[in-house]
Amino acid sequence: MRIKKDMKLADVIQLNYMLIPVIHRFGIDLGFGDKTVSDVCEENKVDLNFFLQLVNAYHDKDYFPKEELQTIPVKNIVDYLKMTHSSYLNEKILEIEQKIISLQSEDTEDQRYILLIRNFFEGYKSELTEHIMHEENVVFPYVLAVEEIIKTQSFSEKNRELFNAFSIEKYEEGHDDVEEKLMDLKTIMIKYLTPPANSTLYHTIIQDLFKLEEDLNYHSRIEDKVLTPKVILMEKSIKNLL
Amino acid sequence: MARSTIIIAENSCIIRKGLRSILQNLENSEIIQLIDNKDEVCKLVNKNKPDILIVNPNMLPTDCPDLKRKFVNGNKLSLVLLSDKKNLKDKLKADGYINYLDGQNTILDLMQKILSKKNQNSIPDKNSEIISSREKNILKHITLGLTNKEIADQLFISIHTVVTHRKNITQKLGIKSVSGLTVYAILHNIISMDEVK
Repeated sequence: MRIKKDMKLADVIQLNYMLIPVIHRFGIDLGFGDKTVSDVCEENKVDLNFFLQLVNAYHDKDYFPKEELQTIPVKNIVDYLKMTHSSYLNEKILEIEQKIISLQSEDTEDQRYILLIRNFFEGYKSELTEHIMHEENVVFPYVLAVEEIIKTQSFSEKNRELFNAFSIEKYEEGHDDVEEKLMDLKTIMIKYLTPPANSTLYHTIIQDLFKLEEDLNYHSRIEDKVLTPKVILMEKSIKNLL
Repeated sequence: MARSTIIIAENSCIIRKGLRSILQNLENSEIIQLIDNKDEVCKLVNKNKPDILIVNPNMLPTDCPDLKRKFVNGNKLSLVLLSDKKNLKDKLKADGYINYLDGQNTILDLMQKILSKKNQNSIPDKNSEIISSREKNILKHITLGLTNKEIADQLFISIHTVVTHRKNITQKLGIKSVSGLTVYAILHNIISMDEVK
């Protein structure tokens, strides 16, 4: 179902609870009563059009914004993606890490195996961090430069340098690999490990991993379906400018 | 067993999405793409190499030699027609035929038959998911951090063989990354924790 501006935001959340962290990243708190999407956006000074594009892209795998895409400033998308990144690194990953640590501190014979899980997760964490840093230090400055070139219809020296050093194609290439480790971790915990005495905690960790994976998939959908196509269009028109 | 991949090419959105939702009940398969544009069929099929293509004959390109050759050879790609004209099936050498009026069970039975036939044709029975002693040995070398080339040299086999073993190991265990394989190897005493850096 397409999410529209005059729907009640509460109904939208009932429709898909995975949108809770999304609206949170926009600075929207729960407890909005019967207010509609456009009311809440106005109150929180969130761009309505961007909000709708985003929640729809999150919510419907087949959704693909076309004409609307042109109107959203890249800066908004980048700001949003940065907020998502920090919520992964500063919240979600830390939470899971904490749970693994408390699993470790329990008095069990399976210590050795928990240590394996912990090290593995640390490996995943540093890979994800590296991936995110790459986006924030290379990809985002690049797309912002692209937008500025379009806006000013001219190249500043710095922007020309950025433009020549990268292209969004390069970004598309290595984009799927980060999830591999996460999937492996789930597989190992489900298929090959005997859960320790505190199986409730163990189960929670697995469920958290599933949720993290789902959320990451949603996140990359925004990058692949909203940001990338927009930048491809802009790259084309810059090449005409040259 | 590896999951079979399916592409549906049909210009009616009702039928396309309806069929997808029916096929979600099919085991060991995954619908990787829906195509609604005739011009893209050839490109996308060649790019994504599905195991099965379910296609409305109207969507079949007339000017795509590559796709056609695959149809004739038939082995790699199974072709299922989606139409209300049954006689097209033989004419196009298709492996199956779905009528718009078919019920859910008829469709699922047909697809199941095609899937099991395909899996027989493929490598004779990768029966157990358990890895062989040869594979264990390769796994051990992988987890010690050796490259394919180094493994090939040490075991006097070709790189190609190493790659094939690697692929089979990953498929059987469901683990792709080297660090994941390492955890598996430790858990199953293929290597000890001290051996891993």
